Amino acid sequence: MARWGMVIDLDKCTGCQACSLACKAENNVPHGSPQEHARRTAPFWHKVIAVNQGAYPSPSTTLIPMPCMHCDDAPCTTVCPAKATYRREDGIVIQNFRRCIGCKYCIVACPYGVRSFNYKEQEGKTYHRPDLPPDRTDRGIWPFPTRVEGVVEKCTFCFHRIDEGLKQGKKIGVDVVPACAEACPAQVIAFGDLDDPSSNVSRLLASRRWFRLREDMSTHPKVFYLAD
Amino acid sequence: MKTDFVALEGNSRGYRIMVAILVVVGLAGQASFIISYVNGHQAFGSSNVIPWGLPITAAIYLIGLSAGSLILSSLTYVFGREQYKPVARMAVFLAIALIFGAMMSIAVDLGRPEKFWRLFMFFYLNNMTSMFAINGILYGGYFVISLAYLGTILAAQPKLTRIMGIIAVGWAILVHMGTGAIFGFIAARETWASPIKPLEFLTAALTSGLALLILAIILTLRFSGREVKQPLVVSLGRMLSVFIAVLVALITVDKLTHIYSPAREATVYMLSGHFSWIFWGLQIGLGAVVPLAILFNPGLNQKVSWLAAASASVVVGVFFERYYLVIPGAAFPQPYFSPGEIQGVWGALNSFALKPAEILLCAGIFAIVGLIFVLGLKYLDLLPPKEAPETPTGAAAKTPEGKA
Repeated sequence: MARWGMVIDLDKCTGCQACSLACKAENNVPHGSPQEHARRTAPFWHKVIAVNQGAYPSPSTTLIPMPCMHCDDAPCTTVCPAKATYRREDGIVIQNFRRCIGCKYCIVACPYGVRSFNYKEQEGKTYHRPDLPPDRTDRGIWPFPTRVEGVVEKCTFCFHRIDEGLKQGKKIGVDVVPACAEACPAQVIAFGDLDDPSSNVSRLLASRRWFRLREDMSTHPKVFYLAD
Repeated sequence: MKTDFVALEGNSRGYRIMVAILVVVGLAGQASFIISYVNGHQAFGSSNVIPWGLPITAAIYLIGLSAGSLILSSLTYVFGREQYKPVARMAVFLAIALIFGAMMSIAVDLGRPEKFWRLFMFFYLNNMTSMFAINGILYGGYFVISLAYLGTILAAQPKLTRIMGIIAVGWAILVHMGTGAIFGFIAARETWASPIKPLEFLTAALTSGLALLILAIILTLRFSGREVKQPLVVSLGRMLSVFIAVLVALITVDKLTHIYSPAREATVYMLSGHFSWIFWGLQIGLGAVVPLAILFNPGLNQKVSWLAAASASVVVGVFFERYYLVIPGAAFPQPYFSPGEIQGVWGALNSFALKPAEILLCAGIFAIVGLIFVLGLKYLDLLPPKEAPETPTGAAAKTPEGKA
């Protein structure tokens, strides 16, 4: 089984937010008003944070695109009481709307703040899935056609693209990538199988110095950042 | 010593007005729950940074009051301290009313309250590594056990009561340590993560539970025209001062540990930020300094009304301890990347504006708990009899239910 991961080259990132926009478009993530954004009640699956260091005359800014880190040892899956969030075989941490009771414990436990709660009945209801795998729709549990208020949602690494691509025999990471990676004009985001030593992400990790966010939490995130 | 128990007559004008007020506030809480259910959690002040608001504060507070109250009933029924017997039944019943309120608070804070049952599908639909799921077992079991405990007490089965009392007390300790673990086990939140949290919660539970019990004893006995036994209240007050001292020690150790570590920004914010007046003024001031000043004052700690004041101060202070942990404790932005300063909304200190809906909701839950308590006083034999029973005519029908 593959273990999907993402490698983000911070040296190339310009902070254009194309990834955040593409994510919103691909997954129909609702947009909130500026007030809601300031209060942090608007849902975001992907964000780009800017971190300032130093002071005039030698300041610097690091731009960090932050999708879900899809931790191998994810605190959110540990604390979820309803089995609503879990790690798939391929390492993607997923949120099941039908099981989610909305206790927000996962939001509390996530060290990266990548989880969003639906604070109201959203306009963007359809959870855009043009390519639903038919066998799973029959089962009726997964995936979820519409979103409701009162549940938590998060980045899925665009698993619908991956699942569909695998079925069609496409090469994941080359032909099929998550929406954020596809949209990036500077080709900052690489996606692929971390367990495959010949994949593009493995090559990047072998050739460059990398770090992960908040490694002191020992969550083993699968989003790697290149910076040197 | 043999103590009989009787029910409250509950025919006075004051009692009826009190019930009416509690019903109205309870209904207002219901209405605000419906509003929050229809509009979603935007009716509350919570956000993706501070996910839990006033309802969770109320939940852990009520659980604490309940566990504390139940543990104290064991003084009579497990350890055989007869001097506390007149108020022991009240303590058990209060504990049941409070845990019911706590479970209500948790249910109404869920994004999908209709899926509340999923918390009780132990081992089947639940992920048992979650402290919430484990606490589902603890709270559910606690509710059942304390009902059975009250049942054995009301059925006058001293042996069974003793066994149930031991189980109930052990369980109550677990319940509150489990509640502390919900917060203490979260490594991502610097101010919460602490191995001492379960013990701190347990001590806070004992403190607030005992304080509420003292208050309930004094108020109930006084308003029902009974004599408040001064030695009983004084000895409970002495116990309260010990609990407060332990609680202060635990809070001090917890905060010092967090400050000593270099990752101290969030704790420093809690102790000196713009909400720190809640910590110093309400949590420490009302929760510890004022009551300790009264309880260690040789003149005042013998007076029932001063003891009531000290208890009221503790009850308020511990509420704000919970409040300060849940809301400002989560407000400090998480260090996604360091060193450096995260710009804009992602690194901003989150503000939490209490919304009317959640205030009303919590007031409603407190009112329902109060309603259960005062109705229980009327329909169950929880109170010690009056010294000189005057048996008003209307109550004559009720009193024969009392155990001889």
